[in-house]
Amino acid sequence: MLDRERGWSVSFAGCGFLGVYHIGAATCLQQHAPHIIRDARHIYGASAGALAGAVLVGGGSLAEACADVLALAKEARKRNLGPLHPSFNVIKIIRDGLMKNLPENTHQLSSGRLCISLTRVSDGKNALISNFDSKEEVVQALICSSFVPIYCGIIPPSFRGVRYVDGGISDNLPHYESKNTITVSPFAGECDICPKGNSANFHEMNVTNTSIQFSLGNLYRLTQALFPPEPKVLGEICEQGYSDALKFLRENGMLPLYFFEKKNGYPLALQEACQEQSGFYAQVSKLFPVRVMSYLMLPYTLPVESAYSLALRLVNWFPDIPDDVRWMQEQLCQIAGTVYSRAKSKLFCLFSLDQPSCCSSAQFYNANTLFKCWGCWRRRRATDFFIFNIMDWCYLTLTCVCFMFCPCVSPALRERAEPLRDLPLNATRCAPGVFIRSAPPPLATARAP
Amino acid sequence: RATQKATSKSGWLFSWLPAWCPTSLLHLKEAEDRMLKCITSTYNKRYVYLSNGNKIWTLTFSPDLSHKTPLVLLHGFGGGIGLWALNFEDLCENRTVHAFDLLGFGRSSRPHFDNDAREAENQFVESIEEWRKEVGLEKMILLGHNLGGFLAAAYSLKYPSRVKHLILVEPWGFPERPDNAEQERPIPMWIKALGAILSPFNPLAGLRIAGPFGLSLVQRLRPDFKRKYSSMFDDNTVTEYIYHCNVQTPSGETAFKNMTIPYGWAKRPMLKRISHLDQDIPITVVYGARSCIDGNSGSTIQSLRPNSYVKTIAILGAGHYVYADQPEDFNQRVKDICDSVD
Repeated sequence: MLDRERGWSVSFAGCGFLGVYHIGAATCLQQHAPHIIRDARHIYGASAGALAGAVLVGGGSLAEACADVLALAKEARKRNLGPLHPSFNVIKIIRDGLMKNLPENTHQLSSGRLCISLTRVSDGKNALISNFDSKEEVVQALICSSFVPIYCGIIPPSFRGVRYVDGGISDNLPHYESKNTITVSPFAGECDICPKGNSANFHEMNVTNTSIQFSLGNLYRLTQALFPPEPKVLGEICEQGYSDALKFLRENGMLPLYFFEKKNGYPLALQEACQEQSGFYAQVSKLFPVRVMSYLMLPYTLPVESAYSLALRLVNWFPDIPDDVRWMQEQLCQIAGTVYSRAKSKLFCLFSLDQPSCCSSAQFYNANTLFKCWGCWRRRRATDFFIFNIMDWCYLTLTCVCFMFCPCVSPALRERAEPLRDLPLNATRCAPGVFIRSAPPPLATARAP
Repeated sequence: RATQKATSKSGWLFSWLPAWCPTSLLHLKEAEDRMLKCITSTYNKRYVYLSNGNKIWTLTFSPDLSHKTPLVLLHGFGGGIGLWALNFEDLCENRTVHAFDLLGFGRSSRPHFDNDAREAENQFVESIEEWRKEVGLEKMILLGHNLGGFLAAAYSLKYPSRVKHLILVEPWGFPERPDNAEQERPIPMWIKALGAILSPFNPLAGLRIAGPFGLSLVQRLRPDFKRKYSSMFDDNTVTEYIYHCNVQTPSGETAFKNMTIPYGWAKRPMLKRISHLDQDIPITVVYGARSCIDGNSGSTIQSLRPNSYVKTIAILGAGHYVYADQPEDFNQRVKDICDSVD
């Protein structure tokens, strides 16, 4: 598998809180076959995978990262709305954790080796970032890659002046050559290091490059990705990553010769990181009556807590306000511009259309044509029909309203529009300037066997 | 003729009303033609008629090279002959290659299969045997992918004298369902309930329910197919072909469902029976290194047939659809196997 000449890469899939799986797998690779990471051409990653990759390449501590993820999960589970509670600021926690964990020269270590997958907001295309000038840039790219829209916030963060969101939206498992890339994913599917479920189902789906087998286990994992399970379960996922990576090494003959011990050598540091440090407060808040009480109090506590966290976020937002406001303004202008130009072209089209295809949307305004286009309509993709024709009908209603109520429409124009209803089917042209129908649809020829 | 029959069967009302699933045999034919458009080697295609009125859609490449044992390709679940588009040209270089749509799949007849797993399997096997008689093959190299692999093994068990070499590519239905299903991490009740609700449905029922949105559903869920065949087509030919193959009346699909127990395991696993296979039939198991189907079946077959030839080949960088993921590698391996036969 590892071809010295052509080189190899490692790619970590985006997976939210299941990122602990990557930490387990990476620990195993580092422990038993350090050359795989050390000599890899590139380490690719999206979202949580990018975080794991950055820690691995950028000289951070994996055990500390594991503890950070568990602390984040605990924080997310602390409140009764889970990660959706307004005071849960996931981006801030991730940023603080990374700043603490990554060394000062991390940009030198990871430049050219770590490739972070990002999704550009403006066109939805994927971008791979692999050169960094400072530690802050690394962290900012990682933040962009982990920013799940709506879940993490509304305004996407920017990297070098461009707005990006979660890399998993466009490419969740970035790699160039599939043959010599070791892919790591916490979802059972077609990856090199992934859990093997007890399902023999070969049906799978492919979500932005990550293959996910249709199985109950995977469905459960998908729910865990953004809504974290108990720390104990996360610890188990971490351990599974470790053992799956070990299995991969064993099957590909990459384990060192001295490796013959029965126990798989799951490191103590990770075990400790996964252990729950339960204080008195955590113990009390777990009790059933306390939880019921907290749910009952929710209508009262939530507004207060929301206001408090909102104020906090506002304070933090101050330095970015001018940029963000400008961006929002641009977006609004763009949306308004698109709507305007489309409305204009549709209305214009209605008055002077001369479209060659039988199923041009404008012709649906005429009942006769609609009938005639029936066969054609059947062949049209229904999605197109629903998306575009609902819009068309809106424009049509708008135009009708104009026709009926607008006094400035000349009576002549109205007369010309009216005879449309009882038009002969074979007419090719009804009146100059209004509703021109093209030649009859090529139904007969198309349907002949 | 086939298309005329299909349209006359559905009646005037149904042909006039817009169908919920925009598909027909004509659509499938067109999609298949587009799949095979890029193939430059000559081939003939025809229906092979079986005794019970069923017909099997067959492609034959290099029919004049009859001095060598022909290679017969059996596609997998939900597929059809079109999916071998990347392999035909290489494989037919010095040997006749036959590929056909399994009974109940693709453009072949879609009869009613028995509800019993054993009977359904038998119907499949008998259709292969009748097809062989009709085409006039004495012996063949049988290559099966997925469900095709299972059926190829079942056929070899029943008609060992007809098989010179058995090639199982990512075969389905070999291992038995493990008893310790609970040993994995516990799964919440609501997910189990969801699984229980969905399990009585056909595996691809969702595709038919989606109706006009089905095609975009396939494109959304399986964009990897487009990538796999990107060397041949840069449009949605493959996904359209797969869509039209699978939204027709379920027949082989229902049979497959009746042959499985949740989730995806075979009712009558092949590993239990493979030891009864004629010792002289050599077996090669080809699997993708990345696939979620367990590649251990090869070594298990080996241990079950200690006195016979069993070889396992792993193809790097390939998933379940080995022949589309790494076509060059796959074709080379299969050609080597065939050359070892004669």
